[in-house]
Amino acid sequence: MAKRLIKLTFPKDLIKKPITFQMAKKFDVMPNIRRAKITEEIGEIMLELEGADQNLDKGVAYLKKEGVIVEPIVGDIIE
Amino acid sequence: MSCVKGLKCRECGRPYPKEALFVCEYCFGPLEVDYDYDRIKQVLTREAISARPKNLWRYRELLPIDGDPTDGLNSGFTPLIRARNLEKALGVRELYIKDDSVSHPTLSFKDRVVAVALSKAKEFGFDTVACASTGNLANSVACQSAIAGLKRYIFIPADLEAGKIIGTLIYNPTLVAVEGNYDEVNRLCSEVASKYNWAFVNINIRPYYAEGSKTYGYEILEQLGWKAPRHIVVPCAGGSLITKIWKSIREFEKLGLIEKAHTKVYAAQAAGCAPIVTAIKENSEIIKPVKPKTIAKSLAIGNPADGIYAAATARDSGGGGEDVSDDEIVEAIKLLAQTEGIFTETAGGVTLGAAKKLIENGKIPKDESIVVSITGNGLKTQEAVADKIGKPIRIKPNIASFEEHVRRH
Ligand SMILES: Cc1ncc(COP(=O)(O)O)c(C=O)c1O
Ligand SMILES: [Zn+2]
Repeated sequence: MAKRLIKLTFPKDLIKKPITFQMAKKFDVMPNIRRAKITEEIGEIMLELEGADQNLDKGVAYLKKEGVIVEPIVGDIIE
Repeated sequence: MSCVKGLKCRECGRPYPKEALFVCEYCFGPLEVDYDYDRIKQVLTREAISARPKNLWRYRELLPIDGDPTDGLNSGFTPLIRARNLEKALGVRELYIKDDSVSHPTLSFKDRVVAVALSKAKEFGFDTVACASTGNLANSVACQSAIAGLKRYIFIPADLEAGKIIGTLIYNPTLVAVEGNYDEVNRLCSEVASKYNWAFVNINIRPYYAEGSKTYGYEILEQLGWKAPRHIVVPCAGGSLITKIWKSIREFEKLGLIEKAHTKVYAAQAAGCAPIVTAIKENSEIIKPVKPKTIAKSLAIGNPADGIYAAATARDSGGGGEDVSDDEIVEAIKLLAQTEGIFTETAGGVTLGAAKKLIENGKIPKDESIVVSITGNGLKTQEAVADKIGKPIRIKPNIASFEEHVRRH
């Protein structure tokens, strides 16, 4: 299992969609939200994703494809 | 003697020990150095500071090292210049340039942060230092780690200016040119940093490193005669410098070294990479990352680590932000050279260009004191102006040719 600490930025039109939840279900990734901020225009979530390495890759790719900006907070933590 | 209590999360306030840590494990907020100000107040007086050597370590109680400083002993205390010609050109009453284009040894304010980062990295026992850089940091890490005898790995975007690349290679580091923009370099470096036990000055040493920028602010306050200016314009990339200048003012107030200050702080960015200024203008508490496209490569960070704090600094101080086009950057570089004799790099063009706009549109009043932060040297970014400043008049080595081409009668 690996952990990824990332920041997700949601543009306005994605704020209301349950993308993070869908990603988690689809790729068997466990999200653990630590901090979030939201305005009318933009949303931001700092979270930890835990799962098998290739599932994390797929999950992150899915988020990006949906239009979410994904930035690492630190490098991967392999346990 | 150490005046550092430890680290503290900027978001949730949780305390952490003095180690090479940089992110809160609970809320993922950035960690900051936590000082014992009561203790500092007992020793750090105007007299004590004035009596010390003129380098950035004269404020050492406010810097995060435990032992004696070992690096950057000739860095800092750059000129604060009363810019009388520029005052006339801009129609303002009192304008100063804080000139880090002549910082020793690598001609940018990054010598300050690297001095602190390397002193700290050695205290921690690291033998290898590394950084992700838009250029100036690369120069300074390569240089100062050569002096310190440390191994060094420098990561830059592959398309940097020749001056920044040569100004790094000359110190013989391992220089890695990554095919991507700074944000991609930074992403790669956060991976590298989690695998290798190196002192990444702007990753795992960041809380300590960033404190070095405060000395730019302390010097302004001291050089103004222990007074704060009413307005200060600061270039932003990652957004650290502007927050640390703000912190320097608050700390000097707290220590009674200056009276209560009413300084307004303004962020300056290039229009082609202005995530911080956009957040300020839109009054947003979230930074929207952008893909940079500007000649101001030293400021081309699309996802600024301290962006949100930089925007908050500008807002809370009552200041603001402004962005400038590439043409305005070049015009401002020329203006500064032709009025004050200072040849700054693109970042300086951004800062002066933004200051000019803020003055013209009335955001900065013409009759109050203004400091423009010049943080880098123009010889490093010559391609930005090379074909915009004319050419030498070419003649034969005789008087006839001179009179024919230069002094036509
Ligand atoms: C010349 C110059 N000025 C200003 C900055 C901005 O500093 P910060 O990243 O702390 O906002 C940089 C950053 O690389 C720089 O090179
Ligand atoms: Zn925290």
